[in-house]
Amino acid sequence: MADMVNVTIDGNEVSVPKGTTILEAAKRVGTEVPHYCYHPGMSSPAMCRLCLVEVEGAPKPMPGCVTTVMDGQVVHTQSDQAIKNRRGVLEFYLVNHPLDCPICDMSGECNLQDYVHAEGREQGRGVEPKRVFGRDDFGGDVLFYGDRCVMCTRCVRFMSEVEQDHRLTVVERGNRSVIDTFFEEGLEGTHWHGNIVDICPVGALVSKDFLHKARAWDLAHTPSICDCSQGCNISLHTRDNLVQRIKPRENLDVNAWWLSDACRMDYEWMNRGDRIEAPLIRSNGGSKVLGWKDALQSILKAAEGSDASVKAVASARASNEDLAAFKRLIKGLGGGEIVYRSPRIEKDIPLKGFPQLAVRRDRAPNTTGANVMGMTRVGDDCATGGLEDIAQHDGIVLVLGDTLEDQPTTFGADAELYVYVGQHESAATASAHFILPATTKAESEGTFTNYEGRVQRFWRALDPPGMARPPWLVLGALAAELGCGEAVRSAEDSFAAMGVDAFAGITYADIGERGTVINEIVHMTGV
Amino acid sequence: MTISVKVMQRPEPESTSYLRAALSGMALTFKHMVNPTKVTQQYPEEMTELSPRWRGTHVMEQHADGRPKCVACGLCPTVCPANCIRLVGGEDDQGNRYPIVYEIDEFRCIFCGMCQEVCPVEAIHVGRHFENAEYTRDRFVYDLDRLMEQDHPSTLLWDPSDPSSE
Repeated sequence: MADMVNVTIDGNEVSVPKGTTILEAAKRVGTEVPHYCYHPGMSSPAMCRLCLVEVEGAPKPMPGCVTTVMDGQVVHTQSDQAIKNRRGVLEFYLVNHPLDCPICDMSGECNLQDYVHAEGREQGRGVEPKRVFGRDDFGGDVLFYGDRCVMCTRCVRFMSEVEQDHRLTVVERGNRSVIDTFFEEGLEGTHWHGNIVDICPVGALVSKDFLHKARAWDLAHTPSICDCSQGCNISLHTRDNLVQRIKPRENLDVNAWWLSDACRMDYEWMNRGDRIEAPLIRSNGGSKVLGWKDALQSILKAAEGSDASVKAVASARASNEDLAAFKRLIKGLGGGEIVYRSPRIEKDIPLKGFPQLAVRRDRAPNTTGANVMGMTRVGDDCATGGLEDIAQHDGIVLVLGDTLEDQPTTFGADAELYVYVGQHESAATASAHFILPATTKAESEGTFTNYEGRVQRFWRALDPPGMARPPWLVLGALAAELGCGEAVRSAEDSFAAMGVDAFAGITYADIGERGTVINEIVHMTGV
Repeated sequence: MTISVKVMQRPEPESTSYLRAALSGMALTFKHMVNPTKVTQQYPEEMTELSPRWRGTHVMEQHADGRPKCVACGLCPTVCPANCIRLVGGEDDQGNRYPIVYEIDEFRCIFCGMCQEVCPVEAIHVGRHFENAEYTRDRFVYDLDRLMEQDHPSTLLWDPSDPSSE
């Protein structure tokens, strides 16, 4: 191709499009040139001076993040001169850095720590006292430790270029320069400021929520999908079987590198301790804990020969697999209407610098999946109400996942058979004949379908409590007994066995870690 | 391979005396009564000389105002091969990072001393001490207060005048 150029980086020849920077070209050959100020989602000011590389023929070292490649260029990133440059720059970074790694939340995932460990001096030579800024509350979830800052200005550029809300700036000059907010307002009221904590290469910007909570090396990272209909790719960081924080996962098709603050803080529900832990049967006023086999057999026996009509409540927080198994079960019981409720906010809040990403109006991860499967949204924008006729239904009532917190204790009291599959007991489960423990998205594998019809996988990060099992397993087994579909043993098989046209032909291998778009998209009525 | 059998020549019970063997044994016993080389140690009146490399139950160093020196960096629970340290970090009212919970299970501890070696602020030390008897087992989980109360000296492996062993 005409607009490709050939460069040699550390002896490896690579062909890249014209206009590519040396730093990006080096990534192609597997060399990560150390850098702070460069971020692929923002402009490059070339001010950290750490990505200086040796270019043959150039009189001086060149900054790799802004120097574009030329045909026949020979670049050395690991030559003696390049390493000596970095060593010198890193020593300057440590002139005023407090080296308080033991108490710094970034320790273990800090670029300064990594680079100095790899290429810095063993012993500092500084004898002068270091300048001290102390710490500053930037508002929102962000704390600023000025002494740790390396002045890469990624945070300033994120706020001005990506969020496009100029809340941060550099004040003062020279070694007194420091990041600051305007007036007392700080970052309060912005919707994306959590990202500046992610992009800060050192521990200068830390999350108040995560402050001192866990060490970076103790956390296990599991890829997952966030809880709004945008379907942002996230990583659940877990320790001690608890989700400690949520970080965005790069996916240029969905959320790039960013994540909204609302999604970032929405993890406590996965750590709730008041869970249903064992299948429960209620009869004649008493209740008894059952094993899974007994519980499923009792449900089948109770439903046997009944020709009562079925009314069901699903949840838009359930995975595609769960909803499909639920639908199959209801088909096996004679078919019936399935409704779901989901919370909504007033309107989408887009990220101005990356408008395909927004805090979506729909605050449930799988409304599209539920719509595709023919389920109807009821209730208001707080996910309450709308279940009046189901509450008094005298046939079979099935509930999947919905906590029913707004419903009275009489919910389902008249039902011939009321099966509740969910995570938490509430007043409305008091009349349930069977209560089955279900896993959350953090405890099982599955897929969500986001607002644009992209199916994305999430993985299991936590151990489920007690006997809780994924609904697709339990409901799929029940449906198979009733002659609808086959019982499946893995989420992957469950996805393949969904029997929904929109998902036909798609496999877990197609979805991968990046997701794929489903065959047809059904939008909600009245959106 | 053939199995060979060795036939033992047992002494005849009637014609054998054990008196000689008994006397030679008693001679050794009585020799110890007058032996000037002392073997028995009069513990607890006399204390054992501990090796300079001795590593016993832990001590937490503290600041002059009684705060623990620990900054809850999490390196000792990370390095501990016996997994006997439990640590929950937090922030005190002056904004300092400190351990809300710091527990060492001395039963699980193998006294390798790596917690002391890894500590960046010279807070946790293994002690020069071996008398650890308790009435209950749960007393062997030392919490932060208990670790700060320990009044025995730290190990000689650590020199307070040269804390980072330079």
